[in-house]
Amino acid sequence: MNPLPSASPPPESGRAYWRSLDELSDTPEFRQWLEREFPEGASEWFDPVSRRHFVRIMSASFLLAGLGLAGTGCRRPEQKILPFSKMPENYTHGVPQYYATSMPARGGSLPLVVKSHDGRPTKIEGNALHPDSNGGTDRFAQASILNLYDPDRATRFLKDGIATTPEAALDFLATLSRQLQTGGGRKLALLVERNSSPSRERLLSLLTEKLGARVFLYEPVQTAADQLAAQQAFGRAVKPIPHYDRARTILSLDCDFLGSEDGVHNHIRRFAQGRKIEKPDDSLNRLYAVESLLTLTGANADHRLRVPSSGVALVAAAIAAHILRGDSRPQGLDQIAPPPGVDPRWILECAKDLLQHQGQSLVVAGHRQPRVVHLLAYAMNVALGNVGKTLVLNEAPPLREQNLPELARALHAGEVETLVILGCNPVATAPADLDWASAQKRARTVVRLAYYEDETAPLCTWHLPAAHFLESWGDGLAQDGSLVPVQPLIAPLFGGLTELEVLARIAGYPTSSPYEVVRETFAGFVKGANFEEAWKKFLHDGFLAGSAARPVAATYNPAPLSQALPSLQPALPSKDRLEVVFHLDYSVDDGRYNNNGWLQEMPDPITKMTWDNAVLISRKTAQELGVKNHEMVEIALGGRVTRGPIWIQPGMADYSLGLALGYGRTRTGRVGHKTGFDVYPLRTTGAEHFAVGASLKPLGTTYPLSCTQDHWSMEGRPIVREANLSQYREHPDFATRMNAEEPPVNQPLYPNPLDKLKPSALHQWGMAIDLNRCVGCSACIMACQSENNVPIVGKEQVRRGREMHWIRIDRYYAGNPAQRQYTDSYKREQQQQFEAWVDDPQVVTQPMLCQHCEAAPCENVCPVNATVHDHEGLNVMVYNRCVGTRYCSNNCPYKVRRFNYFDYNKRPITALYLGPFGRRKDDEWDLLKMVKNPDVTVRMRGVMEKCTFCTQRIEAAKIAQKVKAGATGEVVVPEGTFTTACAQACPAGAIVFGNLNDPNSRVAKLKQQDRNYSVLDLLLTKPRLTYLARVRNPNPAMPDYQEAPLSFEHFREKMGDPFKHSNTGSGQGHATGKGGH
Amino acid sequence: MAADPCGLIHCEPPGIGPDPFDTMSAIFPKWTNRLPLMVLTGGLLVGGALVAGAWYYLTPKYSRVGYKPIQPVAFSHNTHVNQLGMDCRYCHNAVEQSWYSNLPDSAKCMNCHNQVLKDDPRLALVRESAATGQPIPWVQIHRVPDYVYFNHSVHVTRGISCVECHGQIDRMEEVYHAQPLSMTFCLDCHRHPELKLRPLDKITDMNWQPESPLQQREFGQRAIKNWKVESLENCSACHR
Repeated sequence: MNPLPSASPPPESGRAYWRSLDELSDTPEFRQWLEREFPEGASEWFDPVSRRHFVRIMSASFLLAGLGLAGTGCRRPEQKILPFSKMPENYTHGVPQYYATSMPARGGSLPLVVKSHDGRPTKIEGNALHPDSNGGTDRFAQASILNLYDPDRATRFLKDGIATTPEAALDFLATLSRQLQTGGGRKLALLVERNSSPSRERLLSLLTEKLGARVFLYEPVQTAADQLAAQQAFGRAVKPIPHYDRARTILSLDCDFLGSEDGVHNHIRRFAQGRKIEKPDDSLNRLYAVESLLTLTGANADHRLRVPSSGVALVAAAIAAHILRGDSRPQGLDQIAPPPGVDPRWILECAKDLLQHQGQSLVVAGHRQPRVVHLLAYAMNVALGNVGKTLVLNEAPPLREQNLPELARALHAGEVETLVILGCNPVATAPADLDWASAQKRARTVVRLAYYEDETAPLCTWHLPAAHFLESWGDGLAQDGSLVPVQPLIAPLFGGLTELEVLARIAGYPTSSPYEVVRETFAGFVKGANFEEAWKKFLHDGFLAGSAARPVAATYNPAPLSQALPSLQPALPSKDRLEVVFHLDYSVDDGRYNNNGWLQEMPDPITKMTWDNAVLISRKTAQELGVKNHEMVEIALGGRVTRGPIWIQPGMADYSLGLALGYGRTRTGRVGHKTGFDVYPLRTTGAEHFAVGASLKPLGTTYPLSCTQDHWSMEGRPIVREANLSQYREHPDFATRMNAEEPPVNQPLYPNPLDKLKPSALHQWGMAIDLNRCVGCSACIMACQSENNVPIVGKEQVRRGREMHWIRIDRYYAGNPAQRQYTDSYKREQQQQFEAWVDDPQVVTQPMLCQHCEAAPCENVCPVNATVHDHEGLNVMVYNRCVGTRYCSNNCPYKVRRFNYFDYNKRPITALYLGPFGRRKDDEWDLLKMVKNPDVTVRMRGVMEKCTFCTQRIEAAKIAQKVKAGATGEVVVPEGTFTTACAQACPAGAIVFGNLNDPNSRVAKLKQQDRNYSVLDLLLTKPRLTYLARVRNPNPAMPDYQEAPLSFEHFREKMGDPFKHSNTGSGQGHATGKGGH
Repeated sequence: MAADPCGLIHCEPPGIGPDPFDTMSAIFPKWTNRLPLMVLTGGLLVGGALVAGAWYYLTPKYSRVGYKPIQPVAFSHNTHVNQLGMDCRYCHNAVEQSWYSNLPDSAKCMNCHNQVLKDDPRLALVRESAATGQPIPWVQIHRVPDYVYFNHSVHVTRGISCVECHGQIDRMEEVYHAQPLSMTFCLDCHRHPELKLRPLDKITDMNWQPESPLQQREFGQRAIKNWKVESLENCSACHR
């Protein structure tokens, strides 16, 4: 402490100044104060407790606290076990329960079996018991479980946008009902979605017939065009069921039956049966596709003709002109010429092929095509004798026509006072010319039951939250017409109502309980039988046996076609008058799955784009218009505009723009917010599916798109091996002939420890994927995501290549070698997009997941043994050992390992970079975590993960078998007991999983086939997952016939001809090509 | 000091003047010669104590074994099993079906206790729970980490007795954690299942002993062969 400078001495003479009275009196305290820098107590310790003493006490207390911490604080927190006070019947904690139910869908309900873990549904599977199902599902059914736990779903009862009580809403419905009973029904209109529920039909007819209400049907996309056309062509209410399995030759007229038509899972199952090939003398079906967009159907076609959607009708007429003869030939067919640029030989040979397979062929038309194309398709099927064979007409209740414009007119005319909307979102999806929002405002009261508070919600007087189908009682008709129940697995999480309840309340039905309504409907189906037993069996089986619709004989009426044909003069697109095609999106459908993160992040099966839609455009059109990928453009059609990014899509028809519906929503949840752009504003009545006359203007800005596969070609490498049927017949071992020359390794340096374990292990797990059956529908991706707690990462992370899918579907294009400017260099799509070979590509899809290599390259680079082999051949990943070096991922030649760069579970995808400020709210997480499978670890940040072959299912099956075995040795899991999530969901049956130790297992037999090969065989990784090579079945007479698949030509060009070598037996050691290993 | 012709240094002090070593010894007392040894010994002792302490505190042995929380109802396994002879599976009835060995519902307690000790104040909570439906908040004792997927059913139906993990629970007045349930503990048995396997009718018999270690080994090896018991040491056996 520096002493203060001494106070100035008092002047010896003159006036004395003092600074205070203390100074004047010169007290000792003042003297001391002057000498001190700090006041007393600030710099020294006068307490009896000395500093040393204090430190001593503190250290002692720290020591005690530490001991206490070690003794109690380090213990696990005390947790309580709360057993039931009265155990529910048939419930065992920890053993999942399964309930049969069904998912309502446009084209008929999907029969399902849903797994419930301690009261919460966690996984959806198809109901394999149902006669019209193999247990496969589509991607929407798999992902629909996420909607149940969506934090953004409608949870409030709203009156004029203000939250109110459920009681108030129910009171209002009661008032409405009383008004109806006293004759107010004339002014009530109901707007409903398409649904097959007989109970709903019963309540609706009660409302219309007894109370005079009017019912209007609306779906943003009318997918029942085939059924409506059939009703017209056959003069009675029928539902056409195409049997692709019985057809040898199939012609699709813009019909994406493998992708976006109603009931795709059934179509895929049947189509895949027709693609089944085991021996060289087996036959294959042949698929001709005429389409504008490259769809999944076109991707799987043997011959594909790309014409604008508006030109498909002309092609259909031209083919029909070769097929329809005599009486069935309508007037005016000869006057119709095929669109310019279409090779007449294509049409002729296609027609010839159909004619050669009378009764074994099938012509199908897609929902985007006008009525006349459907009528042409039926006329051809009738002429080819397919009706009743490959095209079965089932008895069906008459289908309502869509009539939203009529409702809009009635609203404007003031004929509707009360409008009840059940589910639809017309404000966002109605044709733009209807100006729906203003029409809806004309109704005095609008009551809406909906799953989301979306664009329509603010314009409603009453907004009621809807229950998820897993929370509802209901019923429906499956695609084959059989009665299926909708059975709840959980009470409504947010008190949502079902359609049936709302309708019953409005109708003043004696009971408002949907359960009672459904039972009454069911009683109508099982008259006289023991009702309670039949009801129990109905709920147990998930369908009413014997209730499937019967096929009916129907006489074809050629008159509608003759009437429709003369008006067939479509305008074809040109550079200045482009065609826009509005299509259902593979991910979000018509927008109803817009807020589903799993579907948003699912790469589109064809474009491989996530989280966005884009303006799909052909290479030639893009070049002529001077636009390139990611460039923002403005599309104008009839004075209406929308803006979106360009995506050059191989295989697109020229002058045709593909615009996916369902994106760019203005009011949606946090997941769907700011995804893509809205194309609904371009749609008008009568041009809901495609329109010609659009113009495109580049805006000069770019927009980033997240695409998971930006390399298109296999570059001649035998990743997906394919051959034509004729080649396969000549060389059944073509797949093994494409093997690379084995490196000169006779003996591995170290023995593989797995070889020693193999004889003693009970099982050896393996998988085979038949590429001939896989159509690329992506149901497996959704099933895996649901089963294995795979998180979503968001668009930004996908752009960085951090998507987490354990199974992906690689889609490769192969171009004509004559058009390819071949170079060895790696080309991203930015460089490929203007190469001519992409115009008419052949497409292959390949599910790619962990190959479970016996000699796994990932294992020997892990410094902490976090990925190791088990004795049954699984490459297992031990999350709690993993320290996140990512060496394994670097060393994996198949690129199937996924790293958790963030804690994707606990953080919302919008806040990944906010550190501790980006945590998900607890209540949100409480809801989201309910979808997690409790048998699979939820991975943390910094951990590597990958496909485990569903090890939790393997272990569960093994344990169940061992429990059953008890004191016996029957511990080998029998074939067919279980399978992986992807295999179970696959509607095509392309994925087969099982025990390789059992020579009679399906997988072991598949691996015996000639077509069996492993990807990247040259690395000698010995994958447990092998593929069965693809066989194409082109028609040699067709003008676009190639002797070998284009990817095979590319391979031959690069690696040499695999058939030129004599060693047919070994199938190895041929490659004399230009290298390239 | 002076160098001699041989180049050696004479440590002999010069004859006169104060001895420099005496001066040094005034600064550093003689015992400091032993200081390095003392530091070493002390360091070893303290270090050893720290290691031993940490070892003890951080192993499951310390944190779990002996853990005996106070339960809301003073249920005695000793009374019910040892004296009354009830089988474990009367109450823990799901143990052969589920990974989880359930606690009985209050209604099950009342099966007997609406006759026996029907007004006993110790059972007030049970009666209340059965009447109101409020569960009894038992304190959890045995628990493996979330990443361990232990399954009761496959152990008890394949020759592993309750006593192997839960100790002599039939003698416990209050349940305590008897075994460490650490990964080593699991692996000890998974590596040598023949030492623990027993006839299936003796699973819930806590007092059963093999006649001799040799007999146990013979039985175990026979069971491994006939029942195809696997010695599972792979990660996937317990972690998913």
